[in-house]
Amino acid sequence: MKTKSNGKDFCMFALPGMFCFFAVLVVPFVYGVYLTLTDWNGVAKVKNFIGLKNFAGVMKDTQFWTSLLLTFKYVIVVVLLVNIIAFAVAYLLTRGIKGQNFFRAGFFTPNLIGGIVLGYIWQFVFSRVFVNIGEATGWKLFEVSWLSDPGKAFAALVLVSVWQLSGYMILIYVAGFMGLNEDVMEAASIDGATGWIKMTKIVLPLMMSSITICLFLTLSRAFMVYDVNLSLTGGAPYGTTEMAAMHVYEKAFTSRQFGVGQAEALILFIVVAIISGTQVYFTKKQEVEA
Amino acid sequence: MRKKVLTKVIASGLAATMMVTTMTGCTFGFASDPDDPNEVVEEEPIDTSVDTFEYDTALSGTNITLLNSKAEIQVALEAMGEIYEEKSGVHVEVMPVTDGDSPYTKVVSLYNSGNPPTLSILDTTDVIALAEEKAADLTDEPWTAEAEDYLTRVNDRVYSFPLCIEGRGLIYNKAVIDEALGEEFDPKSIQTLDDFKALLDRLVAAGIEKPISLAKEDWSLGAHHLQYVYETYDGTSEGAAETIEKIKDGSLDLDNYNRMTEFMDAFDVLKEYNVAKGDPLGADYDEMAIDLADGKTAFWFNGNWAWPNLQEAGAENDDEYGFLPYFMNNDKDDFANQQIQGSPSKQVMLDGQIASEQEQKAAKQFLNWIVYSEIGQQMIVKKANIIPPFKNNPYEPADPLSRDIYNRVQEGEAFNASAIVPNDHWSVLGAAMQKYLAGRSDREELVQSIKDYWAEQE
Repeated sequence: MKTKSNGKDFCMFALPGMFCFFAVLVVPFVYGVYLTLTDWNGVAKVKNFIGLKNFAGVMKDTQFWTSLLLTFKYVIVVVLLVNIIAFAVAYLLTRGIKGQNFFRAGFFTPNLIGGIVLGYIWQFVFSRVFVNIGEATGWKLFEVSWLSDPGKAFAALVLVSVWQLSGYMILIYVAGFMGLNEDVMEAASIDGATGWIKMTKIVLPLMMSSITICLFLTLSRAFMVYDVNLSLTGGAPYGTTEMAAMHVYEKAFTSRQFGVGQAEALILFIVVAIISGTQVYFTKKQEVEA
Repeated sequence: MRKKVLTKVIASGLAATMMVTTMTGCTFGFASDPDDPNEVVEEEPIDTSVDTFEYDTALSGTNITLLNSKAEIQVALEAMGEIYEEKSGVHVEVMPVTDGDSPYTKVVSLYNSGNPPTLSILDTTDVIALAEEKAADLTDEPWTAEAEDYLTRVNDRVYSFPLCIEGRGLIYNKAVIDEALGEEFDPKSIQTLDDFKALLDRLVAAGIEKPISLAKEDWSLGAHHLQYVYETYDGTSEGAAETIEKIKDGSLDLDNYNRMTEFMDAFDVLKEYNVAKGDPLGADYDEMAIDLADGKTAFWFNGNWAWPNLQEAGAENDDEYGFLPYFMNNDKDDFANQQIQGSPSKQVMLDGQIASEQEQKAAKQFLNWIVYSEIGQQMIVKKANIIPPFKNNPYEPADPLSRDIYNRVQEGEAFNASAIVPNDHWSVLGAAMQKYLAGRSDREELVQSIKDYWAEQE
């Protein structure tokens, strides 16, 4: 009797979801893996099995490894900055300062603007507004467009990403801070814990679940960055700011090496999956119950 | 209570921001937007009274689709489709490729979804990639006779319809040069690189500090500049293909190839007088059009497709703009110093795989209509504002840049060479050129990256 209705329930509730999941995620993914083993160019009717040749192509593609290295650099800087800033701001915005709701909304707004539009707006800011400021004031920093120097263009990318991502993370951290149990805080104060000690011994462990989510979101988002990369720098100057995701797209669609591009995408996926998986495992272990 | 009011304000504020951001999503104006709906364009009237074209009545009621990758002619194509439907009963649905999407990617995804467009406007390299697999053979179409020199052949068969001729060179603004020199400027008097340098020096002396605008975009540097190295071999597409083959198999050493050196000499002159010399990679494309129209600069390296930008910057159809050749050396008799490059750039491919015979016939009739009907001939020139490669079209383009190319093609002062290069040539070597433009690499490194690029190609 029980198992019977279970089967029916499964069909009613889980099947539609499962179907969608398989149709748009699992099947294309498996098919994508299969494509890395063929020489399909996106057009041809026949797909020839060529084994691991595409992966050999990835090994030879030095530009891919350069861009992957750059992505690592970018991820480290962005993840650290976003989480530190978001954590600090969220902390300040939950202490009952005047107009804190307004500030919460204000910090969150950049996140509502799509990456492409955001990139174009900042491109204008970096290459026109800043340059004009530089001309008017004579400041060396703004003399030439940030986007025409490899180092500064990278800094510009980081700046815009941090600006965009922080708002979202602030929201999650704010929710975490609001959920902190007042009793525990009070007890800690009575026991004499103040300032830094209270932060590291009481607040941080209790905030671990928020940190897990925020780290995971920033990690995966930073690894997969494409829109801001495309519209802000487009890989310029001379391809020095091309991140892994963008390189994969360029490889597949501009160079028209679908197989190699697909293989690179798979490698990128594995890297991201391993890193964020490890991160979730370790931060989850740190989580405690109040 | 106060808190409640504040929350309300924030909530409505947020909602407003969201609305504004969603709305800007569709009204945000990019430079390459198709015709701005708010813009009032003076339309040249199309005379539809005479029409001797014979329509096949059996095709009436057929639906065909046309994928358009040339955003600036979207409105014109829609208008042409409407009139064609009125006359022939065939409905033409014009689908635009959105800005930023590559036409090839779009057409390939449409093929993979089993719903390809009947006709698609593509670049020559795309047609070559798709021709034998997907395209219908157009070798026996009557219009091939009218554009003999401009056909693209794949294994001796014609798979595409050349839509327009586009040319590039150094655009000059005659009024600005006249005023600076205090005398009438004769473009024909500049025949060598030294002549050109002397002219630039005179302009500098007259107060135009940096007379040239040089785009930093990789498509401009990697395709339009660099491809002169291949195209000036003998000024033909076959010559360009031969040069590329020789570079690939190593029989042509770029270090000692005179066109390579000459090209870099020419490019160095442009670099030297570049208005954005202080920050060449910070140059802004839209600003270049404004600079040229306003007379801050006198030259802009670009092609006739730059006219809409110039027009937006204030240039008028009766202003005197034109092209100077890309001077490569000091030999007056070298064709590269006398002629500008002009060749067919967009190709229309007909689907031969999925489209029914009826649809193919209707599409073929549409192409013939563009070439042979009085209305089609007028519209392609006056409305779409392009230079058709078909000899029988009597209409002349209206804007000065297209007119200059048109006249040069008629008078034999243009060379028809377009190098067929791999699809990532412009992006990979565009980056190498950007590095050279910014002064972060030298000639040797540039040549080396070109050699490396070709060595990687199969």
